[in-house]
Amino acid sequence: MTLLISEDLVRDLRRHGETAYPEEGAGLILGSADGETRLAAQLRPLANRSPDGARRRRYEIDPRDLMRVEDEAEQGGLEVVGIYHSHPDHPAAPSETDREWALPWYVYVITSVQGGRAVESTGWRLADNRARFEPVLIRTDP
Amino acid sequence: MSSVRVPTPLRPYAEGLKTVEVDGATVGAALQDLALRYPQLRAHLFDEGGSLRSFVHVFLGEQDVRELSGEATPVRKDDQLLIVPSIAGGSGSPAPTRRVDHTALRVNQAMIIALLGAAYVANAAVLIPLVGFMMLLGSALGRPGFAAVYSALRGLRLFRPEVYDDNPEPHRFAQTLGGIVLAASSAAFLAGLPSIAWFLAWVVIALAGLNLFGGYCLGCAVYYWLNRWGVPGFTQTPPPGVTPGRRPAGKV
Repeated sequence: MTLLISEDLVRDLRRHGETAYPEEGAGLILGSADGETRLAAQLRPLANRSPDGARRRRYEIDPRDLMRVEDEAEQGGLEVVGIYHSHPDHPAAPSETDREWALPWYVYVITSVQGGRAVESTGWRLADNRARFEPVLIRTDP
Repeated sequence: MSSVRVPTPLRPYAEGLKTVEVDGATVGAALQDLALRYPQLRAHLFDEGGSLRSFVHVFLGEQDVRELSGEATPVRKDDQLLIVPSIAGGSGSPAPTRRVDHTALRVNQAMIIALLGAAYVANAAVLIPLVGFMMLLGSALGRPGFAAVYSALRGLRLFRPEVYDDNPEPHRFAQTLGGIVLAASSAAFLAGLPSIAWFLAWVVIALAGLNLFGGYCLGCAVYYWLNRWGVPGFTQTPPPGVTPGRRPAGKV
């Protein structure tokens, strides 16, 4: 799978991770799907609804926030194609928690934020059998 | 029949359908019927034990059925159920930190220092493999090697347990490293290299002392560095706000 995303959007989602540091920041990626390609058009940064004290290592998006953003996206001819979140002081690789909570089809963009600076962003999708994440190529336009 | 709205990421497992007609008098029965019609959906809706996965929220109108009667919520004909995933994850391990008694760890460190120190003073190198064996055995059993000594001393009320919210794995890893160094020290003795053997034993004494008196566990720090580099098997991250290797600040 490939995620086509503009450099501006990548910069924005990384900045969200830096702003949320030392907590995890998360949001939704809106766009369109064409077979094995996801085209990102907009981001929707959302509140991390994890309880106090847990947000440094967890993120949670309220299902009602997802419903609201899905409706907005649909009105604009888009759909939610993925989720981005940050890993403060942790590698840009999916954790066991990420896998347990993941959904197939969506592209997951994980940004490693080390000491407040975003250092790496990687793309992933859950395998059909839920056993592992598979890498997604992130392609930015020049 | 009622209907279920399938969320976008699960539609490929329901022949691309947005809405599916289902039978069932309750939310649970309706979802089971959905999984029966589209078996590939089951793994994403239910866990291995057959319970609804934590991220699967079902709405009846505007209301999350968890706020009603959960899976037992009655469903009437023509009701529409919406499956809405809760999007979640994060770097943290699913297992929260656990309670670790640091007095037990300190008694362990004191025993290691005392026995290896005695071995050096009495030139009784035979104690080195013994201490190493106790440390490796303790790690294999998931406890400090000299936990039995601590249990005996606790009966005398000499120490008070100091329990912290912490991960036991890095301490176990640190003890394993110490045991391996002592195994290497024992091998050096057998190979007729006593100065190397004593040097390795003193490394273990020094690091146990740093932990006992300085509150810094170098082996734990190594564990967390390996976690940061994404090395498989090193799944735990430091408790929030704790520098890798340092003792956690908040006692339980």
